[in-house]
Amino acid sequence: MIDLENTSFDCCIKCTICTAYCPVARATDLYPGPKYSGPDAERLRIKSPLLADHSLSFCNNCKRCETVCPSGVRITDFIYKAKGSRLKKSHRLRDFVLTRTDISGRLSAGFSWLVNPLMKLSVTRFFLSAFLAISRDAVMPAFDRGTFVSGFRNQAKAQEGFPRKVAYFHGCYVNYYDHALGNDVILVLNAMGIGVTAPRQKCCGVPLIAAGNFKAVRKNAAFNIASLGAAVADSDMKIVFSSSSCALTVTQDYPHLLAMDTSAIDDRLELLTRFLHREFAAGNKPAMGSLNLTAAYHSPCHLDRTGGVRHTIAVLQSIPGLRLILLHSECCGIAGTYGFKKEFHAIAQDIGHRLFDQIEQANPDIVITDCETCKWQIEANTRFPVRHPVSVLAEAVKKF
Amino acid sequence: MNESHDYDCLIIGGGLAGLTCGLACLEAGLSCAVVSSGMSALHFSSGSIDLLGYNADRTLATSPVDALPGFIEKNPDHPYARCGAETIMEAMAFFGRELEAQSAPMYANGRENHFHITAMGTLKPTFLSPASVFTREIRAAFEKRPAIAILDVKGFRDFHPGLAAANLRKNKLFADCPITCGEIELPGQTPAAGGARDMRSVDVARILDATTNLEAVAGAITAAAGRADIVALPAFLGLNRYQEILAGLRRATGRLIYEIPTLPPSILGMRLDQALKSRFAALGGVFIARDTVDAGRIEDNQVISVHTTGQKDDIRAACYVLASGSFFSKGLVSRYDRMFEPVFDCRLDTPPDGRSLSGAAFLSPESHAFIRAGVITDGQLNPQTADGRTIANLFCAGAVLAGYNPVIEGCGGGVAIATGYAAAKAIRARLHPPQPTATAGPQ
Ligand SMILES: Cc1cc2nc3c(=O)[nH]c(=O)nc-3n(C[C@H](O)[C@H](O)[C@H](O)COP(=O)(O)OP(=O)(O)OC[C@H]3O[C@@H](n4cnc5c(N)ncnc54)[C@H](O)[C@@H]3O)c2cc1C
Ligand code: SF4
Ligand code: SF4
Repeated sequence: MIDLENTSFDCCIKCTICTAYCPVARATDLYPGPKYSGPDAERLRIKSPLLADHSLSFCNNCKRCETVCPSGVRITDFIYKAKGSRLKKSHRLRDFVLTRTDISGRLSAGFSWLVNPLMKLSVTRFFLSAFLAISRDAVMPAFDRGTFVSGFRNQAKAQEGFPRKVAYFHGCYVNYYDHALGNDVILVLNAMGIGVTAPRQKCCGVPLIAAGNFKAVRKNAAFNIASLGAAVADSDMKIVFSSSSCALTVTQDYPHLLAMDTSAIDDRLELLTRFLHREFAAGNKPAMGSLNLTAAYHSPCHLDRTGGVRHTIAVLQSIPGLRLILLHSECCGIAGTYGFKKEFHAIAQDIGHRLFDQIEQANPDIVITDCETCKWQIEANTRFPVRHPVSVLAEAVKKF
Repeated sequence: MNESHDYDCLIIGGGLAGLTCGLACLEAGLSCAVVSSGMSALHFSSGSIDLLGYNADRTLATSPVDALPGFIEKNPDHPYARCGAETIMEAMAFFGRELEAQSAPMYANGRENHFHITAMGTLKPTFLSPASVFTREIRAAFEKRPAIAILDVKGFRDFHPGLAAANLRKNKLFADCPITCGEIELPGQTPAAGGARDMRSVDVARILDATTNLEAVAGAITAAAGRADIVALPAFLGLNRYQEILAGLRRATGRLIYEIPTLPPSILGMRLDQALKSRFAALGGVFIARDTVDAGRIEDNQVISVHTTGQKDDIRAACYVLASGSFFSKGLVSRYDRMFEPVFDCRLDTPPDGRSLSGAAFLSPESHAFIRAGVITDGQLNPQTADGRTIANLFCAGAVLAGYNPVIEGCGGGVAIATGYAAAKAIRARLHPPQPTATAGPQ
């Protein structure tokens, strides 16, 4: 039976603008592109699931196609639904390692002293490549020591003392790779008289969506919706995200792609920079010292997709002594875990070059971006250190 | 800027009208943001700007500059009548300067129209074109009755040189020109069998943007062109390096290389879109891509704020511009029972009933009635609410407007630029009224 409710592919006017701007289609002609893989082929797939083929795997889920589509077609919903329900899985072991960030993160962060140096060895990289199909040339990010959450417990009490609070969705990145960013978030919010709570949470699920593992992502989503919902139920607390991809997944993919009921948290979800921008505009700006720093700002694809870039830019523009160069929006190529995969590593690098070249030309002191995997990719491919907007803000606050 | 506002001017729609208006606001020192749901009609257009192709009696307009005053007199409800001939020409000059500042100049044939060749091999009158379509040099070359080669790239699906040549030969302007057709292969072009999709103009443009071997491309062109003086190619000579590619190929082949606009997405339109957006960013404009304004709060005949779907933001500005385009861009919406403007529900001029929306013939020189539908405005480009109250700080520009037919008048781009510019002028006058002592500009 054809699911008559989901025929939104009919909104497509066949203009091919999406394919014209798809970075993967630019890099390889093996990918049919968003127009074909999304609305065009879905028309056929609802009649015969057999028509789903492995060319779908080329999509890196950057969602730039949706950003440019004049008709508002949810192109990647078609692609990932088809991947999740109609494609046979390959690379199961690799997908487990790359997508179960909760499990692999917890294990590795506990042994970061061992895992980090190990990952640099060429012999490890050979095995990763041979058995997990993870590219030998990919620079794997280093784990932080322990988890952010365990460190946060010591501060939780002090945070309770603030009359106003937010619920912080720190995500796997802060929890396993970058505790400093989490602490910067706390520092900045505290300086504005706002306390931070960290409700229990699982990975938002964006890597699981990319792998088409819908069963697992639904479990994570249900957990997060319930936990975040309970945390903000009796207050007017906002739920803030420092990661633009976690924010996009919870705000857009949960209700649309996964058809989950997010009504309990819908009006609370906010990217952290949007929250800050609105606070600043209302007069609640932390005291800051001057930085004397030139920064190139790279807007992550997933932030572009939500139309939220102006909030981050406004926040950065309010930092004294920060000279901002706005880079022309381009995909960095890594797209979460895409660039780590052996078969896509070369495509990811090819995509990223336009951004890397722009950064080299701008020659800033630092690069700023809201996305953790963009940070990895840019650091691995340019000479410049990459910071999160809130970390730069925290530095200015500390300078005061 | 007033403290309670986010921007002096907020523009809904990032197409030709919205961007022109935004540039004019920024140049006037106003702070400005554009919200745009998706890419604009420029991606469907030829990349040339039509100002006035045909007179009110449907005859060809030789000089739009001379024809405009008469045209306006005969069409008092036309968007051009809201601007006035003087402002229209001021707008075109302004548009030209902005693109020149972005190193993407457009060329006019003095006060007169010139023609560009369509993919069908017909000629279309237009006013401004990019350098690969019209310059004095190109005009001089065509006047010499040259031999023309129309070439294509192997595997490209959106152009048929034979069709273009057949129609061109029927045109008496080309009666003495030998016209040949041919096909070339590009270095680095992957064999068609390996590819998963048809080759569109963007794909060819990317191959050329990436090529380090322009000499080889030039060699292939020279071989296929035979003795032709002018080589016409579909417009796919690069998206980023197009100026370098055009100049390089002209130099290496010794021929005049000419681009013919083809099916969407239009490369010539994309280059224009890119140049305008880069200029807008360079002047400090805020471009909010991929959000949609879904409602506006109106109090005492003023827009107080607008709300967006994605970010759920309430954005406040002193003035607002509705440049949301026509039906394709969702600036106008048509349902079985009614036609409406979805953001403010502005009063529309619509055909009397649903059945009269389209003409009997699908392809008709008269075009279809729905094309004239749009928002009704007064002389200041201010629209009205559904119950007839004028909204004083909202201005309308571009394809969302009623009262014109870009197809039979040949004025689509011109209306977008002229009304976008006129809206910015009206906004500047509203926010900074001319002081009595200063010399006032033309009204
Ligand atoms: C197929 C085709 C070919 C053409 N060829 C030519 C040509 O060769 N020469 C010429 O001069 N003219 C041509 N035109 C006409 C001309 O291109 C258009 O009239 C002109 O570009 C319209 O510009 P605009 O800015 O008014 O609207 P658009 O270009 O339609 O832009 C409107 C923008 O607003 C956005 N938008 C809509 N609603 C909202 C909302 N609620 N919130 C946020 N954003 C919103 C849309 O996403 C879109 O990006 C052509 C038009 C078409 C359709
Ligand atoms: S951009 Fe949107 S409307 Fe155009 S082809 Fe792609 S999905 Fe369809
Ligand atoms: S999500 Fe990115 S890679 Fe996938 S089809 Fe869209 S633009 Fe292409």
